[in-house]
Amino acid sequence: MLSKLKTSAAIIQGAFLLVLLTLMSMPLYAQESTKPKENTVDLEASNNQEFFDTDNLQLHGFVALGVIDVNGSDFVNDDGSLSTELTEVGLNASWQLSSQFRLAGQVVYLDGGNRYEKGVRVDYALIDWSAIATENWQLNIYAGRSKNNHWLYSSTRTVPFARPSIILPQSVYFDGFRDIAVGHDGAGVKLSHSNDDYGNFDFNLTYGRSPISDEQAMNLLSEFATGNAKQEFDLQTSFYWQPAFSQWRFGLSLLDSDFTYQSAKPEKPDAFFDAEFSFQFYTLNALYEGEFWEFSGEVYQSRFKTTGFYFPQFHSDNIAQGYYFQTRYKITSDLTFLARYEDFYLNKEDKDGKKLEEESMGLIPAYFGYHKDTTLGLTYDFTSNLSLRLEYHWVHGAGRLTPVVVPNPRINDSEDWQLWAAQLMYWF
Amino acid sequence: MGLLSYKDRTIKKLILLSFLIIGIPIASSAYAVEVIAHISVKDSTLSTSQLKRIYTMRQLRWSDNSTIKVFVLPSQHELHQRFSKERLQVFPYQLNRIWHKLTYSGLGVAPTIVKTPEALFNAIKSTPGAIGYIDTPSQDNNLDEGAVNVIKIEN
Repeated sequence: MLSKLKTSAAIIQGAFLLVLLTLMSMPLYAQESTKPKENTVDLEASNNQEFFDTDNLQLHGFVALGVIDVNGSDFVNDDGSLSTELTEVGLNASWQLSSQFRLAGQVVYLDGGNRYEKGVRVDYALIDWSAIATENWQLNIYAGRSKNNHWLYSSTRTVPFARPSIILPQSVYFDGFRDIAVGHDGAGVKLSHSNDDYGNFDFNLTYGRSPISDEQAMNLLSEFATGNAKQEFDLQTSFYWQPAFSQWRFGLSLLDSDFTYQSAKPEKPDAFFDAEFSFQFYTLNALYEGEFWEFSGEVYQSRFKTTGFYFPQFHSDNIAQGYYFQTRYKITSDLTFLARYEDFYLNKEDKDGKKLEEESMGLIPAYFGYHKDTTLGLTYDFTSNLSLRLEYHWVHGAGRLTPVVVPNPRINDSEDWQLWAAQLMYWF
Repeated sequence: MGLLSYKDRTIKKLILLSFLIIGIPIASSAYAVEVIAHISVKDSTLSTSQLKRIYTMRQLRWSDNSTIKVFVLPSQHELHQRFSKERLQVFPYQLNRIWHKLTYSGLGVAPTIVKTPEALFNAIKSTPGAIGYIDTPSQDNNLDEGAVNVIKIEN
């Protein structure tokens, strides 16, 4: 099984490298394709046709810069000072090879302080096969590195202007888990059906895994974990339904994933032992889009099983639960107001975290057992592709701060902490 | 007699009301939004549902299986706002979300955005399989409306 996984991983890695190289080798003047064809462009296009038809290439991107200030936690930085670590830059290309095949890739640069690793990433690099495309049915098969398309905002969480707020509900869209949850290297199927009587149906199924860097492993586990963390597999499915002539859409998603930890012992000192982690996550969501009002929410439960890690015979089985509800109101066509409440606890048998404090013999304070966030925000659209966003978060609890497995109460010594941020976003 | 005049008044009210409902939207916009396609497109009528599917990227091919190329104006353009509300019966921000999701997550391709109604018309005229929209009667006398197909939208 493991060797099979390794072979498929090698094929997938090869596939997205190929996609990336092809996309990178394209000349930049292909941007012309987004402009309407005029006579002069026609001439240029016909000259390029031997290499590729510029009509079939689309280039897009975004730049977002901002300031963020956190008081009372290490969410962004350790000293609590005002930070400009709120940069997100992305560039993508989509190349239609034929009526059925398409290559697509996006590279992003992120700087979010402690939230995630700073640097350049391949966000996605995939081949898309449009196997069926009729008036009512569409079947697409994706291979390579794809974005997670299962949760309400999972596929747009990395796209500043396409998500509802600068900081998303951390219980679902946890930044510490971002690089693992944002997508996968593997394959996916998307089946869409549009019916005049019953509405729109979308079904997604994906299988793959995400590489885990040493820095991510440290963020998630502990700074004293010197071994290797690895995602063995990630299987996800989701189903969405929008009834005909309805402003509502309903969805559900299921996730099953296994991780392993290989201790650095005995070659190197390591505070931890070999481990197996199993993670399951289920969500239900609803979205209402009216002319002025919008309502959305997700309710979820996760199960996290640990075998080993702290000592070889260790075993734990933990169920976490949470929800968030969000509303957006269009004050004018350019100005949108946002309000959201999120409530999350790491153990449904220990909602106030007291057991956590007792079992850790006081090392982990009770407030690490939950995360409650009240958010207010405003977005102003200057033009069709330039917006400014402002928001304020009042957070109660430290349940969604890194590192996760072995928390750091020395820096995060406050049960209540606040955050404000402003971000200017441009896209094309 | 009193009863009759009551009925008369009711009928008058109903007629007035129906004018308010049907008449006002037509009267308030001197220009209607027409859906146009490249001259090679064989489909001469589309239902509102089909048009909605095309613009939300849930239908990618014409009836002869050729690829549909969708063109739009920027989302804050007045004509685009009218097109999406009146023709598609979808709010412009909903379209943006669907298109952003496709464009920036790699899952699909969104419509091509052009800056002006003239550029939109020219793109439809010169791109096989293209669909777009114009104000009619055209505000721009230079547009040769015979150079594109006008698609009839049925409910």
